[in-house]
Amino acid sequence: MTLRLGLIFSTTGSYAALGQSAMAGALGAIETLHRRGAPQIMPVIADPRGDMVAYECMTREMLESGVRHIVGAITSWSRKEMIPLLERHGGLLWYPCPYEGFESNDHVVYLGASPNHHVVPVTDWIATQGMRRAFLIGSNYVWGWETLRLARDGLTARGIEVVGERHVPLGAPTPAHILDEIRDAAPDCVIDSLIGPSNTSFLQGLAAHPDRPPIQVLSFNQSEADLAEIGPAANGLVSAGSFFEANAGDTLCDAARRHAPNGRVSSFFATSFAAVEILSAAVRAAGTDDPATVFRAAAATPAVTAMGIMPIDPVLRHAKLTPRLAIAKDGRFDIVNSAAHPVAADPYMTAQSAGRQRPAPGPHRKLRVVK
Amino acid sequence: MTPVPVHNFSGQTALVLHLSPEIGQRIKDRCDRLGVRALILTDDLETEAARGANTLILDIDTGDDRLLPWPRAAAPMPLIGLIGSESPGRLAWALAQEVDAFIPVSGLGNLFSAMVIAHATFAQKAERRAREADEARRGSGRLDVVRAVLALMEGGRDEALALKQLRTMAMVERISIEEAASRLLSERHRAGGRTG
Repeated sequence: MTLRLGLIFSTTGSYAALGQSAMAGALGAIETLHRRGAPQIMPVIADPRGDMVAYECMTREMLESGVRHIVGAITSWSRKEMIPLLERHGGLLWYPCPYEGFESNDHVVYLGASPNHHVVPVTDWIATQGMRRAFLIGSNYVWGWETLRLARDGLTARGIEVVGERHVPLGAPTPAHILDEIRDAAPDCVIDSLIGPSNTSFLQGLAAHPDRPPIQVLSFNQSEADLAEIGPAANGLVSAGSFFEANAGDTLCDAARRHAPNGRVSSFFATSFAAVEILSAAVRAAGTDDPATVFRAAAATPAVTAMGIMPIDPVLRHAKLTPRLAIAKDGRFDIVNSAAHPVAADPYMTAQSAGRQRPAPGPHRKLRVVK
Repeated sequence: MTPVPVHNFSGQTALVLHLSPEIGQRIKDRCDRLGVRALILTDDLETEAARGANTLILDIDTGDDRLLPWPRAAAPMPLIGLIGSESPGRLAWALAQEVDAFIPVSGLGNLFSAMVIAHATFAQKAERRAREADEARRGSGRLDVVRAVLALMEGGRDEALALKQLRTMAMVERISIEEAASRLLSERHRAGGRTG
């Protein structure tokens, strides 16, 4: 039985680099599984070009043509466009990207990092560095709004002052006056939830700003997918993620060389790759491609993927992931902090109410590279 | 910056009043995702069961005042109404009960939103009731203010001076002018005449 697998990623448009990385991961997995003798998977590819209306049309067409499983969507905006159609047609979306949480839809499997995997480690890290003042900047849609809201909550709870917050329209460059405002506010760090060209122009503008002591920038989702595009301006940026290229073995590195336009493994690449591996194993175990049955099979037996074992919570429908922090240097990420074990996703941040312990603010410590 | 409503219900208990075990189970599944313990009831709600619960999720189609151990519109916790038939009579019952948030049975995936809205609405209602009670109390105290001013004028003061004196008393005691008036009158009453 050949499984027709929908791949809906914007491989052109304003956040094309992320879409290309994720698409390459899925195609790399299909090829790798084929070589291993797994049942055939036929990709059905669509490129919505970052246009929200196109996501809806293409998802509808795909589901009406009989596709039942889709790996896709980069932004939460696009995922939210696809969900009503998945509900209507009984489809299942394997979502491979970090997101802002507060969702657990019966037609989605969430394989990317949740806020307890990215916001919490970043705010904890800021507190342990003894930083006192933070500026927040993000893209003007749900990812930017909600990650920065969570960051504000976490920082305030740790006694760190938020000295400013700005949002930039998706796809637009970051205006120079925001860079001036950040310099004037003199924060110890900037939390950056921008994506695409807004992010590139922000980091380059901040690095080139004439009046500068360096400001520590932190991101919840910067990956190797578009790190090289930013150039030396990304040096020193700290990013949270469930996977970095440094964590990749030969399988992922080989697949990235063959399929990724930039030849790089990123969390988008690796998670899409793992999504196809989990789906393939679950379809085989279930003996059907019925989405509900496949999901139960995937949750019942954690698949061994190129990212490691990825258990999926049958209730929350989110993967257990290993939170990591990494620092960018010359187009690469060095891991500086890694959880000892995979951590269950907490999309509704239920663990945050019960008086979680505040890490004690300490003196400025230099980042240590974990070998 | 708009304040964010209460949105963490972890460790709380929700009572679910619904006759269908299948829907009860679906609600329980959604509650599990929010860290909320769901107790499914298929009979009348007992006062004992209601004690300690944080939310009541109830079926509007089968809702009846006699099912609930409190007077109409006086629930001690936020209510979430499950919309099934959409008949105006059933919706009227739910509105009269002052259900705090509604969710269609087909949309249980959005229970989190209903929880947030119900708890925010319930808190707003409680705030409004407290404010109204306070205003009513103040309104009824106005007559006492007039009486107190007249009493203070007995010493030959004019009304402006008497009112100023009453205000000063309220300010010193850090109470409202109505409370100061009521206190002054009761003290005079106890003393059986003028006290100062």
